[in-house]
Parts: sequence; C-alpha cells; structure tokens
Amino acid sequence: MQTTTPSNTIVERVAADLGKYPPFDRLSLDKNRKIAASLAVEYHEEGETLFRKGDELGRFSYMVMKGAVRLFDSIDGEEVLVDLCDEGDLFGVRAIFGTSTYLLSAQVVEESLLLAIPVETIRELVQSEPSVAAYFTGAIARSVQHIEHSLSEAIDMRRSLMEPGGGSLLANETLVVDQVRNVITCAPGIPIREAAKVMSENNIGSIIVAAENRHPLGIITDTDLRKKVVAIAGQVNERPVSEIMTSPVYTITAGKTVADMMMLMVRTKLRHFCITEDGTADTPVIGIISEHDIVTSEGINPAVIMKAIMQSESVEQLSQEREKAEKLLKMYIAQDVAIHFISNIFTELNDALIVKAIEFSVADMKREGIDLPDIEFCWLSLGSEGRKEQLLRTDLDNAILFRDPENDASRETVQRVFLELGKRVTAILVACGFKPCPAEIMASNPEWCQPLSGWMNYFRKWIGTPEPKALMNSTIFFDFRPVYGSTALALEMKREINTEIARGRGFLQFFAKNALQNPPPLGFFRNFLVEKSREHAHEFDIKARAMMPLSDAARVLACEFGVTDFLGTVERFRRIGQLLPSFQELAEEAAQGYEFLMRLRTEHGLAEKSSGRYIDPEHLNKMQRQELRDLFTTIGKVQSMLNLRYQLDYIRA
Amino acid sequence: MLEFARKIQVSRRCRKGLLPESICRYVSLFDHPLQRNTPLDELRFVIFDTETSGFDLVKDRILSIGAVSMKGSTIDIADSFEVLLRQEAIGGKDAVSVHGILKRDLTQGMEEDEAVCRFLDYLGNGVIVAHHADFDIAMVGRVLSQRYGIKLFNEALDTASFAKRLEKGPYYNLAHKSGEYRLDNLCARYGICLYDRHTSPGDAYLTAQLFQRLLAVGRKAGVDTLGKLLLK
Repeated sequence: MQTTTPSNTIVERVAADLGKYPPFDRLSLDKNRKIAASLAVEYHEEGETLFRKGDELGRFSYMVMKGAVRLFDSIDGEEVLVDLCDEGDLFGVRAIFGTSTYLLSAQVVEESLLLAIPVETIRELVQSEPSVAAYFTGAIARSVQHIEHSLSEAIDMRRSLMEPGGGSLLANETLVVDQVRNVITCAPGIPIREAAKVMSENNIGSIIVAAENRHPLGIITDTDLRKKVVAIAGQVNERPVSEIMTSPVYTITAGKTVADMMMLMVRTKLRHFCITEDGTADTPVIGIISEHDIVTSEGINPAVIMKAIMQSESVEQLSQEREKAEKLLKMYIAQDVAIHFISNIFTELNDALIVKAIEFSVADMKREGIDLPDIEFCWLSLGSEGRKEQLLRTDLDNAILFRDPENDASRETVQRVFLELGKRVTAILVACGFKPCPAEIMASNPEWCQPLSGWMNYFRKWIGTPEPKALMNSTIFFDFRPVYGSTALALEMKREINTEIARGRGFLQFFAKNALQNPPPLGFFRNFLVEKSREHAHEFDIKARAMMPLSDAARVLACEFGVTDFLGTVERFRRIGQLLPSFQELAEEAAQGYEFLMRLRTEHGLAEKSSGRYIDPEHLNKMQRQELRDLFTTIGKVQSMLNLRYQLDYIRA
Repeated sequence: MLEFARKIQVSRRCRKGLLPESICRYVSLFDHPLQRNTPLDELRFVIFDTETSGFDLVKDRILSIGAVSMKGSTIDIADSFEVLLRQEAIGGKDAVSVHGILKRDLTQGMEEDEAVCRFLDYLGNGVIVAHHADFDIAMVGRVLSQRYGIKLFNEALDTASFAKRLEKGPYYNLAHKSGEYRLDNLCARYGICLYDRHTSPGDAYLTAQLFQRLLAVGRKAGVDTLGKLLLK
C-alpha cells in the first residue's frame, strides 16, 4: 500500500552509484534520480544462473555494482566464455532491442550485487537521451565525422591559400576566436525571399533572426534555404522567415577560445553560434561565430606550424617547431578531436619536416662538394609513418629507393652518395626528437638504401619463398610511402610488388598466417591479460596485442586486392570495405576500433612521455575498457574472416 | 488472547470513527495473519530504522523513520520510505549531532501522529526487519499505544540475532560480544559499503543489503519459509 514517494536518501545513494558508469555518467543527477527510483537491487551468490541462452527475455537489464557475472555461449554442448562483466558493466541489454530470447547465458562467478533496470526505463532513455542512444548503438564516433570532415576540408583550403612571406599569419597568436561584430539581422516577419537577398548581397552564409530589441529568435543558414525551402511544397518565397528558421539559436558569451569552440561544435554538432551580451537569448546580439571563423582562427592552426617548418633555417628551429606540434597534439587529444583528422595533420607536419631535413642535407652536401647524382630517387617512410599513423615521435623507419644506374661502377658511387644523404637526414630527425630504429631499418643503413632492382630482389624473396620469421620482420616494408622525390618510382615498385603477389598465391596465405600471430585475449577483464616480462609486468601491450592484429589484417587484404594507393590502416579497411561489400560492416568496425586505439595510445604516450605502447589496465576508465573489450570481439571477427578467406586451417606453418 | 481483545476494541472504535483511517486499515490487515509455510520469495519485507533523540524508551523521541522493502531477496527502491518528524520539545540533545539532523529539521518535519500513520500505510502487513529490531519496534510501538491504543502487529526479525544465529548457532550468548554484531561490523564482514550511516533511510538500506546476504546464507541452511525464518 504505497502512498508516499520513495526515500530521497536511498534514491540519492542508488543514483550516485548508477551515475559512476556509462551511459549514466553522462546524464544529469536529476535524470539518474528518476531512473534510480525505478530500480531493484538484487544479490546473487556464486554459481547462480541468472538466465540461460534461449530463455525468454526478462523485464530487466542488469548493471553489476559488485562482483562478477560471466556470459557464455553454448556451442555443441561446450561452454564458450564470451564476456565477463564486473563493476559498472551492463548486461542483458538485448532485451531493449526487442529480440525474443537471450543469446547467451549469464552465471554469477563471484557474489554479486546487481541493479535491475526495467527494460522500459532504458527504452525510454534511448529515445529521450541522445547520449544513451549513442552508447547503445556505438554511434558516438560516427556523430563527429561530419564535423571532422568539414574541418579538415577547411584546413586544407587554408593551407593551399597560404602564401610565402605573409607575416600577418604569425602575428596574432591569440587563442580567442575572432567573432563577426557587425552582425546582420532580420526581423521574423520578412519574407524568405528578402532574407535570401540580404544574405547574397552581403555574401554571408547565415543571418540571425532578431526581435526589435535585437534579442535573437533564431537563425537561417544557407542550408536552411537549400533544404527547407525546397522541401516545402508550393510558393514559399513570400512566407515569413520565422517559418524556416532554426530556433532557438545557440547563444554564448564573447571571448570563447578556439578550444572552447571546437568542443562546443563537436558536442552540439552545430556550426553557428550567436554571441549575446550575457550569453542568453534574452539580451541583444553582439556577434556571431561560424565554423569557418573557428577553423581560420590564428594560433591553433596547424598551418602556422607548417609554415614555420617550411621556413625554418636551422635544425634547431625545426626541432622547436616539432615541439610546438606536440602541444597541438595534446590539445587535439584533450579536445577529443577525431583521430583521423589529427593523423592527417601530423602526417603532413612530419612529412614537411622530413622534406626540410632532406633539403638541409642536400644543401650541406652541396656546400661540401657532394652533389646528388642526376638520377631519379625517392625517400620512403616505412611502418607506422608509412601508414600515416605516427602521432608520437616513435622509432624512425625509412629507406631510400633510386633508379638503377647504368653500370655497376656508377651504382656504387650513387649508393654512397644516397647513403650519405640517409645518414644526415636521419641525424636531423633524431635531433627533432624521433628515436632511431633499434633494428636499423633506416636510410642510413646500406641494406636499406637500394636501387629498384635491389629492392625488388628483397621483395621477390619475401614473396616467393615466404619464411615466417623473415616475413614477420618484413611487414613494415610493405607499408612504404613516398615522402620526397619521385613518387612515380615508388608507384612503379608498388605495381611490381603487386604483380609478384598476384603470381604466387601461397604468399598471401603466409602473410595472413602472420597476421594471426596475436589472437585477441579472451579474458580481458578482471584478470586483464598483461605482459609477463619483468620490465612491463602488469601492463598491456596495446601495440602488439591490439593494433598489430588489425594493421596486419588490413595489409594482407590490401595486398590481395592490389591496392596501389599508399594508405593507412583505417583507409585500408574502408577501401577494402568498398571492394568487398560482405566485409563492409566489419571493416568499418575495425577502422573505428583502430582509430580508438591510436587515440588511446597517443593519450597514454603523451601522459607518460613514452611510446604509449604499454598500458596499465588500472588506469583505463570504464568507457575505455568497454571499448577495448568490444574491440577484441572485432579483432576476433576479423581474424576468423582471414582464417576462412585464406583457408589457414589447412596449412601448417 | 489479549491481542485478540485489543483488536476487537480497536475495530469498535473504528466503527465509531474515533481512529484515523490509516490505523483502522492497518489493523484490519491482520485479520488474516501470514502463513508460516509462505515461501520467502513471496513475502514483502520492510527493512526499517528509526533515529531517536536517545535510548530512553520513555523520554526520547523518534526523529525520523527510513525504510525500504524487499520482495523475496530483491530490494525495491521504488517501494522505499522516509519521513522526518517535527519534535520541537527537543533541545540540544546528543543524538541530534550523531544523526546529523539539524535542529531546523526538527521543527520542519511532519507531526508525529501523521508520520506514524504514513509509516503504517507504507508498512502494511510486511514482515519487519531491523537491526536491533526490539528498540525500533518499541519506539514506534510507544507512539502507537499512547495515541491509538495499538501496537505493531507485524511479524518481525532482528538482523543482529539472525546473523548471530547463522554464524554461531542458536545458543551463542549475544550479550557478551555485542560489538561483533553491530551494523558497522556486520557490513564490514559481509563486504557492504558503508554510506549514509546514521541516517535512518541510509541505515535501513544498509540493513537491507545485509539481510540479502543473510538470507542467502540462511537458504543454504534450509531457511526457506517464514516459519523457518522466525523459528516459529
């Protein structure tokens, strides 16, 4: 006989517990209180079965507050562990999506306190809270893609507009976004046609609709004009603008930094922000900031660093600029800027740095009387830099490729000069903070400073008579990318390699086998799979255990399809997804997963001032652990796809 | 059958309209007592705690009542209860600081009679569970008896005694080592996080979590009906 509302104190306590974990950590306390008031708290002993595969779905999803629950599948009478849920994990969520029976069984492995969340509560949340919906559909990453795309476009444009000698770019280092001050507004009653005319006369992409006292009511952008006007049937030009404006307009106070604005843009997915006197819609408009203003603000712009690199006159200066770039990286990571955007920028910056290092070296050599031979050559980046994934200054992997000279005598001289170049460039890059490759896979090593015929001999050997160990060490060469010199020469080599691969089918199998060396850990939870070696005991090797399985898989597939473009892992997955429609969904999953790993590693490397490779699982937050766990499922799927595709079960290495 | 006589008397006064509806409704719920053989999963337990101005059953007053219910072994947050009582008569007594209830709360709460009626509405015929239950039951019982001439008719279980019984068997003398069975100590022993200690809803919620664990232990020892739980 319930006549009163639930106890505030108890609801508050449960809401606080709930709010510690995703997706509830993104909800307001008030929302969590409402959810808490609908929950039940269950206690279960070790060994209890909560539900079985094939059981009809229950009315609750569960969150583990304490203890652990294992989810397993039964295949041919054998139990296969699928996941182990511990504190903060949700399970039994399939019920939300209205399928009819449980696909897995759940059993308590350690006495557990569970919050039982009514399915209706979650369903309602998925509909009313975008963050919860995103959590369940994994759409968080995708939602920022649009903005990321337009940002990178704008930055490309800016770079192409950059002219040498324009000092004004560097003059203003302030981080505050310049707002447009003399904002053009219109009254809500004017016809759409008139508003469009004002916009085109003033060459502006948006117009604020304001009341007589200049308080903002809404905004009309050219997108509104394009989409909404076209969408409405009949004669609409004479209708009032208030019918198509986006209202309310997002209002902010003046003086926001670029960092603030970038975050706001990603969060709100809006592209225009209205500045008012006190930041609310109840005071007059004083400015407007659009996406374009944010992107082109001084200071943040990687183009500024880019320009400084290109104009450097000494190695010290080059090194300083690379140091600045690291700050930019920190800022981007802190702001959750899309990783694909970050890696594009850093590839450009690193490439510019290499180009400059080559120019310095060539000039020095010339001064000392050593002229570069008049022969086509190309500087190649290998490994992660070759794949455009080197955000942190990790090991250098590079090489020089040159056109075969006409006779053996000149071949030796030519190689000597290029080797000298390789040594000097490598030294400059090390001075700029990159680490020398411990295995000496660098252009300073005669082995990796070769004419086309020399390189093809290597590749023919790897491809023709694949031998597991040699193959393992050669994967980074398959990721070569031209950075300076003759791209045509690099492309020629790439084509020849693809022909070799197509000729000997056995190679792909070995290559694929190599990609399966690191199976995903099955138990990535309480007893996190950690390294056993002493130096990194209790740490997780994110590079070997999570990134390499994916980059290896993408490489094999790219080889099979004879992709000639010089792509990174993410691009490879997306490309293969297009070429192989049945793989598309998984490829996209893998691509997003790889981006997540790049971010995690970069974040960690920046914080620890290390390569970021070894991660202490204790330091991961709940969301990251969740994503990592999902990722291992993805890796597993990618690997079984390779296994099937190349029928690896039939070959024995 | 003193109890029976008292019930007759109460229903007579109800018919004359001399008692509040809540009291009459409450008493009528006990016309059909719970069966001993009712499985635990079908029972509604009400785990409650009171905060008082002290430990004197005569002089001290109830300051707040907090409770949460369990259906079988599942705590139902929606079915929880909390009320602060208005007790102006109390000055700067010790309990006030122990329980963290500020004086202004004591002048702002609900009148004692209304609070108790609401509690009975909530309680219904649920099985009462409390830590050192005798004290809390006596405190509420005194108000009921003074104001309405009734007592609490519910079945009741003391978690301290239940824990002792499960851990040491029925003949262990609790009086010697009562510290071991204080709520804090039991929570620590059963791995329950201590939060909101010394607020009545907070303690009720902790007691409920403790009771969940004790029930699990009890089940293994064959405690699966109301009768076995209450040793009746």
